[in-house]
Order: sequence, then C-alpha cells, then structure tokens
Amino acid sequence: MNARQFLIRDLLVLFGLTGWALTLPAFASEFAVSMALTCLMYVALSSSWALFCGTTRYLSLATSAFFGIGAYTSAILLEHMSWVQVIGLGSLVAAGVAVVMGMAVLHLRGTYFAVLTFGMTELIRHAISYFEKSVTGTVGRVLMVVPDRDTVYFTVLALAVLAVALSIALRRTRFGLAMLGIGADEQRAQTLGVNTRRVKVAGFALTAAVAGAVGAAMSVRWTYIDPHTVFNPFIGFQTVLIALIGGAATLWGPLIAAIVFSVLAETLRLQVPQIYMMSLGLLLILSVLYLPGGLASLRTESFLGWRDGAKAWWVQTRDDLTGETRRRKLREKSLRERRDVF
Amino acid sequence: MSSERTPVLDARDITVRFGGLTAVDAVSVRIMPGELVGIIGPNGAGKTTFFNAISGVTRPTGGALTVQGRELAGQGPHRFAANGLARTFQTPRTFADMRVRDNIAFGLKFAGRRPRKYILWGEETSVPWVLRTPESILGLIGLADQADLPAAGITPSQQRLLEIGMALATRPRMLLLDEVAAGLTENEVEEMARLIRRLRDELDLTVVWIEHAVTTLLRHVERVIVLHQGRKIADGTPAEVVRDAEVIEAYLGDEMNASTDEEAAA
Repeated sequence: MNARQFLIRDLLVLFGLTGWALTLPAFASEFAVSMALTCLMYVALSSSWALFCGTTRYLSLATSAFFGIGAYTSAILLEHMSWVQVIGLGSLVAAGVAVVMGMAVLHLRGTYFAVLTFGMTELIRHAISYFEKSVTGTVGRVLMVVPDRDTVYFTVLALAVLAVALSIALRRTRFGLAMLGIGADEQRAQTLGVNTRRVKVAGFALTAAVAGAVGAAMSVRWTYIDPHTVFNPFIGFQTVLIALIGGAATLWGPLIAAIVFSVLAETLRLQVPQIYMMSLGLLLILSVLYLPGGLASLRTESFLGWRDGAKAWWVQTRDDLTGETRRRKLREKSLRERRDVF
Repeated sequence: MSSERTPVLDARDITVRFGGLTAVDAVSVRIMPGELVGIIGPNGAGKTTFFNAISGVTRPTGGALTVQGRELAGQGPHRFAANGLARTFQTPRTFADMRVRDNIAFGLKFAGRRPRKYILWGEETSVPWVLRTPESILGLIGLADQADLPAAGITPSQQRLLEIGMALATRPRMLLLDEVAAGLTENEVEEMARLIRRLRDELDLTVVWIEHAVTTLLRHVERVIVLHQGRKIADGTPAEVVRDAEVIEAYLGDEMNASTDEEAAA
C-alpha cells in the first residue's frame, strides 16, 4: 500500500469506529456506556501521549498533572461558563502549564526527564492541596451544575476522535517528521535544521491540551473532586502503560490497548482487584520482552516466530531430560578421539 | 582568493572549556569562499571539539563566530544549518529506521527548504540542479541503487556517503566533514577525495575536512590548519606546513619524514 492508501484506510477505520461509538448510548446499558466512557478517556489520553512521547521518545509521566489541571479548571468555572468554553479553557490552561514545564525540563532526556515530569506532577498536586486547605479552606469541591451523561459521553468521544485524527494528520506533516527525527537522533535533526526546542515544547503542549480537555470533561463524572482523585498518578501511569503495551510508535496501538484495558479493568477490578494490577504488570513485562513494538505490531509472522521458538525450546528440554544431549556429546567426543588416532 | 570578499566562516579566539580542561584554546580561523581546507592534529588535539563549536553543537566558552556575515556564537545548530553551514559526524548518524531516500528528504524539508517560484507551487528558486530532489542528490553521491533500502541496511562506507548526502540536502554554502575517510580502503579514500573536490568545484562549496590520517589529507587539500593541544600551531599550504619546525616537532615527526622520503623517492 502507498501512503495515500494508508491514509484512506486509517480514515475509514476511524470513521467506522466513531459511528459505532456514536450509536452506543442509544441501545447499551448504563454499565456498558460507563465502560465505554472510561475506554474513550484512555483512548484520548494515550493516543495524544503517544503522539508526542511515542515519536520523540521523551517519556512523560505528567499526564495526570494536565488531567487534574483540566479537572480543576472545569470545577471552578462550570458555574460561570458554558460547557464548550469550560472544555476549551481546561485544555488551554493545561497547555500553558505544559509550555512552562517543557521550557524547564525538555532539555533533559531519558530517566531524568521522566522523573522530573513526575516530580512536577506531585508538586502541582501538593500545591493545589495546600492552596485549597489554607486559602479556600476546603479539602475538595462539589460540582453542582453537571451536564447529563450523554453530553459527557459525546464530548469525550469527540476528544478521542480528535486525538486519533491528530495522530493521523500529524505524522504526514513537517511537524510530525521533525518529532520523528528528534526521536531517532535529536542532535542530527538539529544540524539538519530542526528547531528542536520549539518542536518539543509545541508537541508537549499539544499532548497537554488534549489531556486537559479530557480532565475538564471527566471531572463532572465524579461530582466531587479533590486533588487526590484528579491528580492521581495512576492516571498518568496507566496512560503510559496502555501506550507502551499497544505500541507507542504506532497509530492504532494505543486505541487497541485502551479497549483491552477497559475490558480487563471492568471485568477483573470488581471481582479480583489484585489480579487486575498484577495482569497489568504481567502484560507490560510480556510486551517489553516479546513484543517491543506493542500489540499493534502483532503479525502472523510473530506467532510463527513464537511457535518456532517454543518448538526449539521443547526439543532442547526433551533432549536434556531424556539424556539425549549427554549421549550426543559423548558420541561427538568419541568421534573426535577416533579421528585423532589416525 | 581576493581579500575583499567576506569570509564564509570567521572564527575569532574560539575557546571551549570542559570544567578545568581547555579543549580548544583561542583558535582563530578565517575561511574564504571556495576554499578546500584540511584540519589535522594528533588524538585529543581538539579537532572534533573545534568542529562542534563552529557548527553550534557545543556552545563555545569564549570567542566570536561569524558565518556568512552573521554573528552566530551561542545559537543552536539549526541556526547554523539555516545559514548554509552543514556538517557530518565522525560516526555516521543516519536515521536507521528510515529509508535512504527519506534520510535525504529530511534535510530538504528543514534547513534545505527554499521559497518556491510561485508562493505555493513551482520549482524552488536558487537551488543548484543536482540538489533539487532526493534522487538527484543520491545520484551525485552514488547511492541511487540503495534509495529504497533502510539506512541501517547499507554498508559503513555507504553510510558515510549518506552522511554527506544528508548534509548536502540542507543546500549548504559550506560543508564541514569530520573524518569521512576513516576506516575506508585506499580506493574508497581516493573516490571520497574525488567526490569532495567535485562538490567543491561543481557546487561552489567551501569545504573544511578533518582527518586523522595526515598523508591522505595533505594530498588533496589546498590549505592545512594544524591543531595541537587545543591551539593552532600552523596554517598554510601543505608544502609549507610539512616544513614548519613546530609542526614536525609537535606532531608529525617520523611519520611525516617517512612519507616525504617516499614521495621524493617516487
């Protein structure tokens, strides 16, 4: 397939999935819709995360910071403004914070960058807790005016579609190519004329804008928010896990993994919560070891490769257990000795 | 070489310090358009550090740097690239996952981008014919047959050529080559030297070429700068430099005497 056919395929798949998700609230149960909402939230978060972090290979753990900032913006402004304005402002504030944060830490790479983004997330969370306790004198906020379920659902759906559409569009632009170059070899990209600082800050802000908008939309689902729930680092971790397991460099990986996860989460978390966390860890280990490209890189060949690997392992073990390996070594040794005699 | 023309690169007292270590110590170099200059020096002489400083990869601790009349010291490498200065790296740093053609196209899309004839379409103006498309650049460096292979799948000597191609894709006025002939066979070195001369002559490029192997370099360049322990100890034609007492003492020593004897005998 050439680039144009790939574009058409991606757009058709997105179109189909969107249509299917649009009709869901009309027939599905309350439970299914709430599950789909969580799923869409993680599609939006991890697709937008992979959009920047997957291509540039800057592992950001700050998703929960942007999510929380969006949620708080929404909690403060919901009584004074319309729904769309609240979402827009939530994403703008998050993007603004990301620009400042990006200027401060985006010259670092690897572990340092990951740790610092996580540290900043904690800093923002504690700053807001402190502010709420000492200035407003509350622990959390109760959201009075809340839009109905379908509005929230369609908003999050729109954000998820936007995140995937952005990924489709950006990988075909100069900006996307610049991010890819940064991921491959940042200094080389610089000497070829990429203003890496600007590209990184812009990409980071774009990720944050989507996460902020998702946070603003999702905050109303809880009706009561405090820094502990909306800045929960687990939101950031889970976003990263989903993107990595699905394949951070791929387009559909985060979406596939988000669906797998929400199904896992809803079926396992209620019955056996410990097993849910354990299976997350296990999936990450398996995907890092055996499928570094993520679920989206799964092909028929990978199954064939695993089968051949398993077969070779079985033959080896069988020979070891039956003593065949030892006998073969003895045979070879006696052959060598006989050759030495002549 | 007329002296009233502005130099392509004018480095004045460039100094690079890493903590207490002075890697490059007040080196001044002035390079005129169309020159083919070689920089030599023993291991640890500060050649690559000096290169990094004049291409923006490391920020010089002190000194002034003018590229084509613009003061650029302390700015990022992308500003140097935009002002027509391209460089290669000692170990080829190609984008391994991309195809060879896309490696070239990368530079064309960033520092190599030129305004089009009509605002959004038409040919790019003021670009030499051979630098117009990825295909023509690949033809120039002789990698046309490898265009569709991933960059990781070509041989090391082809990767060096690709490095030069990537640098050319930024449509430079000046090319900085960092040990492009290291590890090549005798024939490949000759071919590389021919390619470099051809680039200089056909594209009006100014070329600065660092090489560790002195004898190869001296055969092909017109002017040599010798660095030793971070300082510039000689600057002149190859014939002048090999006679320079300080150069012989500091660095060339037996190796150079041997090779001049060989040449005299031949």
